[in-house]
Amino acid sequence: MTQTQKITIGPFNPELEESVYFKLEADENRVVTHVEIINGFIHRGMESLVTKKNFMQNLILTERVCSLCSNNHPFTYALAVEKIAGIKVPLRAEALRVIADEVKRVASDLFNLSMLTHLAHHHELMRDTMNTREHMQDLKEIIWGNRMDMSANQLTGTKYDLDEKKIELIIDTLDRVEPKLRDLQERYENDEIFREKTVGVGVLPYEDAIEIGVTGPVARGSGINNDVRVMAPYSLYAYRKELQPKVTLREEGDVHARAMARFGDILEAVRIIRDVVADMPEGDTYVEKRPHIPAGEAVVRTEAPRGELIYYLKTDGSQKPVRMRWKVPTFTNWEALKVMILGDKVDNVTMILNSIDPCISCTER
Amino acid sequence: MAKIIPKIFRINTGSCNGCDVEFVATAFVDKFHITSLNVELVDDVKDANLLVITGPLTARSESFLKNALTKLRKPFVVVGVGTCSVSCGIFRDSYAINGPIDKFVAVDVNVAGCPPRPESIAEGIAKGIKVLEQKLNGEVIPKKIDTIFSDFSAPASFRGRMDLNADMCTGCRTCETVCPSTAIKISEDANGFIHKIWHNSCCYCGNCAYFCPTGAIFSTNSFDTVKLQNEKYSDVNVSHIFYDECTCCGEKYMPPSRGLLSKSYIKEDRNKLNAAICSKCRKEENFKRMYG
Repeated sequence: MTQTQKITIGPFNPELEESVYFKLEADENRVVTHVEIINGFIHRGMESLVTKKNFMQNLILTERVCSLCSNNHPFTYALAVEKIAGIKVPLRAEALRVIADEVKRVASDLFNLSMLTHLAHHHELMRDTMNTREHMQDLKEIIWGNRMDMSANQLTGTKYDLDEKKIELIIDTLDRVEPKLRDLQERYENDEIFREKTVGVGVLPYEDAIEIGVTGPVARGSGINNDVRVMAPYSLYAYRKELQPKVTLREEGDVHARAMARFGDILEAVRIIRDVVADMPEGDTYVEKRPHIPAGEAVVRTEAPRGELIYYLKTDGSQKPVRMRWKVPTFTNWEALKVMILGDKVDNVTMILNSIDPCISCTER
Repeated sequence: MAKIIPKIFRINTGSCNGCDVEFVATAFVDKFHITSLNVELVDDVKDANLLVITGPLTARSESFLKNALTKLRKPFVVVGVGTCSVSCGIFRDSYAINGPIDKFVAVDVNVAGCPPRPESIAEGIAKGIKVLEQKLNGEVIPKKIDTIFSDFSAPASFRGRMDLNADMCTGCRTCETVCPSTAIKISEDANGFIHKIWHNSCCYCGNCAYFCPTGAIFSTNSFDTVKLQNEKYSDVNVSHIFYDECTCCGEKYMPPSRGLLSKSYIKEDRNKLNAAICSKCRKEENFKRMYG
């Protein structure tokens, strides 16, 4: 008879960015034999709140669903509203939206990677990743006015515009960041300490990944490409085929593979931003500040830094939505955790959790 | 006077993780000078003496927060980071929110912002340490603590505390309508409109400035949002938009603002067009002029 240990992690733990509660059972070798995940700590009743606020207020409220993908939420929401209203967004606005989205993707993925190295106790690598991310944070603060919530989108277009000087600033920042990113990618790939901690940990086999339906870098780490920007292009990705990312696919399905898939995303995002600013379409940045939204229903999907984001919106011609519901990437990736954690060491649990880049505030909203 | 080591523990009570991310940035990026404060991040809440709480306190987190608080040894200091922790911010009206946290714990320092800049978080922690020192030495906690990190600056485009140019405002209530966190309140009295901006509810999104038709409301780049608990309800921007007295009938009326007129009459002399009369008298005068 083996001795089972009962271990709890959370809900308040410095290693967890957001509150989750793990109840684990482990055998004498500290290998996990049973996982129970208790959540609901970040449930703020968002789906009820959005029906109480008008369309302009919801631009900001959707941004506060999650601050790490805070551009993707209003972006997808705006796409849904425009689909219902039948509004065609000017090409320049589409380009501006994509720039904001990709800048946010770089910062979000870099933050996740720095947390990963933090949990792998590789502090030198963590600090370097964090400092590289600061360049993007500074850029966001100068152009959009906030380090996290950019408030870039508005219904029928964008709130901001880029002039020559700002484009120069973007290119300048990318010039400084890109060599650092390539250097970091090389270090993440080959660093002995980091590899030792992450290779073969939290494996999600291809078959399980298909069955659970994981999305984003988690899927790409297990060899599945379901990037929405490629599979069902939207916005500027639909107009310009060459913008679609050449995704990095990995077969290993472990924590390391997911980290490297994320690095592929980051470098592609940098390439996309460069391509868009090199050839900015001329024209307006929005159609109408306060458009009328008729009754209707729409479903829209986009690629958030964590994977596929789906918005469902129903309106009745009034100032407020009747129903808004969203399926977030972490919702499916979450299920994969049980496969990843079972049979792995207890000490690796928080690192495995981090490797799916969980956005609990999106999932529980 | 014994030198104390501030031991920080962070509790997330349901934030959108913006504040938590910025807290990590504050703790690990050198340029925010947190190392100069000699703080220590502890793994267990029972070792902490400086609690950083983020989030609006969801119903689910409440009992866990109460439980965590019982483990703390006095004296300790609570720093609420983010608008949510101060006033629940944008989530205030939700059924799932039991906050703000000061219903359940004595908060010492509030850091408003959505999310606050790491500079503000560092400032909040520094002020928290000051309060902790005073608590340990049994001193009276002052009503106000001066800015500690005075060399931090923000880019001009930073969306900080909102301000109103009352001269340009007509009281059209657009800002009140588009504000997602109901931080703006416009009321009326005998002399005109009273325009209030509650900085502790504001989520610094800039929606009001974007939709304002006259450009009366605008964001400054001030990130001076770190306040002690006793300043919580007084951090409000109050402006008065006064009625004019009609030179014709003596009735009080709201004149169109400078901003609105300059949008309507690009070329003409606005002062001549806008003789100080109310809309009722203007109608009568125009009728007389055309048909009289």
